[in-house]
This record gives sequence, C-alpha cells and structure tokens, in this order.
Amino acid sequence: MRTLFVILTFTRQDLIERYSGSILGGLWSLLMPLVNILIYTIVFSKIMGARLNLPGLEESPYSYSLYLVSAMLAWNCFAATVTRTTNLYHEKAGIITKVSVGLRALPMYILFSESIIYAISMAIFLVFMIAIGHPPGWAILTLPALFLLQQMVAYSLGLLCATFAVFIRDTRELISILFHVWFWFTPIIYVVEILPEGWGQLLAYNPALYFVDAYRQILLANEVPSLQFFAIATVVAFALGKLALFVNRRLQSDIRDFI
Amino acid sequence: MINVTHLSKHFKLYKKPSDRLKELLFRKPYHSSHRVLNDINFTVADGEALAILGRNGAGKSTLLKILTGVLLPDSGEVHLSGKLTGLLELGTGFDPNLTGMQNIRTNGLLVGMTPEEIEAKRETIIEFSELGHYIDEPIRTYSSGMVMRLAFSIAIHADPDIFLIDEALSVGDGHFQQKCMRKIRQFRANGGSIVFVSHDLNAVKMLCDRAIVLDKGNVIANDEPEAAVNIYNQLLGGDEEEGPTQPSLPQNGYGSFDVAFEEVTVSGQDSDHHVVSSGEMINLHMDISAREQVESLTVGMMIRDRFGQDLFGTNSYHLGHEVSVNKGETKRYTFVIPMHLAPGKYTVTVALHEGMDHTRHCYHWWDNAATFEVAGIRGALFGGVCNLSPTLEEASAESARPARSA
Repeated sequence: MRTLFVILTFTRQDLIERYSGSILGGLWSLLMPLVNILIYTIVFSKIMGARLNLPGLEESPYSYSLYLVSAMLAWNCFAATVTRTTNLYHEKAGIITKVSVGLRALPMYILFSESIIYAISMAIFLVFMIAIGHPPGWAILTLPALFLLQQMVAYSLGLLCATFAVFIRDTRELISILFHVWFWFTPIIYVVEILPEGWGQLLAYNPALYFVDAYRQILLANEVPSLQFFAIATVVAFALGKLALFVNRRLQSDIRDFI
Repeated sequence: MINVTHLSKHFKLYKKPSDRLKELLFRKPYHSSHRVLNDINFTVADGEALAILGRNGAGKSTLLKILTGVLLPDSGEVHLSGKLTGLLELGTGFDPNLTGMQNIRTNGLLVGMTPEEIEAKRETIIEFSELGHYIDEPIRTYSSGMVMRLAFSIAIHADPDIFLIDEALSVGDGHFQQKCMRKIRQFRANGGSIVFVSHDLNAVKMLCDRAIVLDKGNVIANDEPEAAVNIYNQLLGGDEEEGPTQPSLPQNGYGSFDVAFEEVTVSGQDSDHHVVSSGEMINLHMDISAREQVESLTVGMMIRDRFGQDLFGTNSYHLGHEVSVNKGETKRYTFVIPMHLAPGKYTVTVALHEGMDHTRHCYHWWDNAATFEVAGIRGALFGGVCNLSPTLEEASAESARPARSA
C-alpha cells in the first residue's frame, strides 16, 4: 500500500514538481506533446505538403500528419518508458540504498508518468482529428487494450535492461542507440512501400511493426486489429513480463549489493 | 519487536560487475568472498533500545541495511512486528529545488507515513523543525543545519513501531538535539523499539537498555550498555586508536628527570578501562622511577577538560602525604578519585616537584600524560560539568520564611 503511494508521488514529481518554481509549472508537461503534434501536423500538411493515399483520406491534406502522429505518439511513449527505466536504478540509487523500496515496483512510476503523457497527447490528437473532420470511430475502444499490451512490453524490456545495466554500465548507452536504430527500422515516419525490394520482408521480423500497424488500423481506418494479433501480443507481453520479473528477482540481492 | 536469527551476509567481490553475469552464464565462480555478518542473533523487545557498537567495517551498517530491507541477507531471518522506519540517512529523496513543504510529502512517504498521516502531522512537523516561513522556500537555500532539522522532524514524526538510527542524532544545535532526545524517549515510553548505531558512547549509555558489540561480523558481546561499552573499548584499545597512555618516555614533559614518571594510566574500578561512568571510582596510577635520592617529593595531578581548562588538581603535599624515594627505586602511586565529572573527554597532567607547587624545583612535569572519557551517568542524571550530589528537602513556606528574616 505504501509502495503505491510512493510510486504515485514519484509520478506526480515527474509530471508536475519537476517544473516547480517555473511560471507555467505542470503546464510544461502538457506543452511538449502539444508542440509535437502541432509541428507534425502543420509542418507536414501545410509547409511540406506531404500527401498519402490512405483509404478514406485520399483528399485530406492532413493524411500524412494523421499517419505520422498516430504511430509517433505510441512510439515516443514506448521508447521513453524503456530507456528511462533502463537508467532508473542508477538514477535512484540514493533512494534504493537508503529506504526499502521494491526494485520491481519502482519502475511503475515511469510507466505511469509516460502513460499519462501519452493520454494527454492522445486527447489533444483526438481533438485535432475531430477538428479536421476525421473523428475516430468505435474501434478506438480497443486502443486502451493495445496500449496496455505495449506498456507491458515496455515495462518488461525496461526492467530487463535496468537489471543488466547494474552489471554492465554500457547497457544504458547501448539501449539509446538501439532505440534510435529501431525507430528508423519501423515505419513511423515513412511508408513501407517506399522501401527498396526485399526490405519489406526484413521488416516483418520487427515486432514494433505490428503494433504500429494496429494503432493505424484503429485510429485511421476504424478497424479492430485481428484477434490473432491480440492473442500473440498478449502471449509475448506476459512471457516477457514473466522473464523480466524472474531475472530481476533472481538477481535482486546482487543488484542491491552492487548499486 | 525485532527478532534476528542466524543472520549471515557476505559480499562477493568481483573484479568488475559484469563478472556476476558471467558467473550466471558459465556457472563458475568469478568472485572472492568477504564475510560481513556471521550468524547474528538478537532480539529487541517492544520499548527497548539496542545499541550496535563496533569498529569501522565491523558490519554495523550492513546489519542496519538488512534490517531496513535495503540489502538482503544470504541466510537467516529477520522478524519485525510493526512498522519500521530506517534512518540510514536523513532527508532521503529530498529534492533541493522543491520547497521544504513539498519535500515533507516525498520524504514522509519514504520514511513510511501514509498521505493522511503526512497531512495530519504537517503542522507539527513544521513547528518542530522551527523553520518558520522558510518552509515555503526551496531547500537549496537552506543551511545544512536547517535541512537536517527538517529531515529529522519528518523522521521523528513517522511514528513507527521500530526506529533504526544510524549516527543521525548529532543534528543541529544543543537545543534541537535535546528536543530530539526528548522525543525519542517519549517514543520509547510509548512502547517503540530502537536500534541505534553510534560512536557516541555517552549517547549509547544514556539512551539504550542493551548493546551488542560487533567485531568482524560476529557478535562478541550482548550486554548492558556499560559492560558492552567496556568491551568495545578494549577492542579499540587493541587497535591503539585511542590508547589510554602515551609511550612512557621521559622526553614527555620537562624537568630535571631526577625522578620521573614511567607510566601513567587511568582506569575505572569497574570498567577496568579509560572509559568510565560518571559516579564510578577511578584509579590514576603513576609509576615513577628515581635516578637520585629525593627526600621531600610531591606527586601531583590535574584533570583538564577538552578545552584545556583546569577542572581539578591536587598533590601529595596538600593531602599531607610524605613522599620520598631512594636512588634507583621505582614506586607506584595511585590517586583514587570518585569520578563525578559530567560525560566528556578529559586529560590528566601529572607532576613531580618539591614543595607545594612546581615553581621551586620541578623533577618532571608531563602534560596530557593520560586521557580518559566519562560516558554515561550512574544514579540521578545531572547537567553541567560535575555532579555536586545535592539533596532536596521540602518544608512548608511558613516555616521557611522566619528563618530567612532572622
């Protein structure tokens, strides 16, 4: 119970109190996603005039913006959760070595904090979608499930990396580079069709592709992702979660000794 | 209530942290082992205060960290009944950019309070810390004393069943320290248990019911504070960290050295050591040797406090004791002194001279020939520099008044 309070406080600190003393305060947490969305939409629709032939959006000047933002918000949240969790034990060593806090509970605050930022961004994005006359359909009700699975994977990956980072310092640098590569290896700002022959098949090995596609299915085409996708994603998320918890529990005594 | 049984912990020393992973993968040891705690057993009852004594590296902090849950033991068990607050550090999680007010929340949670408790006690905490309006300033603007005061105020209001304190009591000025001590006594009176790690032997004797002495990971004593402190001191003595005597060479001090001190020691009659309790009898032994025959010799001593201020001195002349030594003779003189000084560290200066003071002829004057420490008070507590052993009498005001006017 106390752990929950501690996590909620850290979340709050992460979102609001880190801007303490500034004039806008917690509003800064809102401002960043807002600016992001504005840039993606205005720059690409108005200034660069990027167009995509998306089903149902052939005529819209905002087609590329929708394509980009629907995947970008989810990716940002995912990447931030994993990379920040990887650094967590190092960052909070002062607390972990002095007060009894759970090693597996602590990363929750990053999960919460990043999820809240995603929710805020998503709310802004939905307003935008309605404003341009392309409101989301009923399929959006499955979005929370998709997001939950994504964040389960993010937590598990983050926890695994955080565990390794205690023993191998290079993990942290490695992860930030890996995520950079992974970002470009995932069709977030480009469409698969522009890739040269053969790359498309390679992309099929990238699990992030399926998540990105699922987000676009829900938000752009108002389609519910296939049951097969949800089934596999659930199995993967749980298996990864179990593995991460197992490894962390196995090494928890050593983690505490080392940090 | 704390119950620790067969607790052991060793640290594995790796050349680099990644060797730990190699070890898991190849199932082959890559470390050397260092035992920190070896089969520790003890119990702390409700309302009891236990001190943990030991030299640096004896395993005190590791033990405290295991009790807190920050480190995990290799084997053995820790049973805790009730809520525990560990003060391994004051102000854990303090963010210098946040105000004192905001930090109360985070730190309060970390020391085990619920949000409701924090809200309920916020005013009391601020009042106790005596920070006044500074509470709304970022704590990076605080002096270190103010930060500590705030941290301690939060901790002490956490209201746990068990308190673990690591050297945290030396907070702030004397006034604030006393407030903290009062609060801790009150906490104990309400049935709280305390485990207390400190090098302040006086605090240990004043605060604790029992003390354990750790040495190289073993409990070598589990006894009353006074007895445990003595054992701890013998341990220290073995290391010459604070030895009772300086090497007894005649070069120490000045004089003609016709008669000179060989060795000067102070020891409590009960403690048998240079750390004594206030109220104990102490022996000041002086071994002297004579190069020449001296007919009328005076043996003197002076006790000084840590500021070098003379507190008490006397000599054989004042005591009406005739002293004479023959050539080549060695003798031992012992001043037996009821030690009524207040807790603190003291030095002893000794002298051999002719007549009532050393101005006529000085054989040997030796400053700081020995040191001793008074820790803890036997019998009634007192304040100030020494115990004047008063009695208190009571009479009605009517019978007292005529006596004054007469």
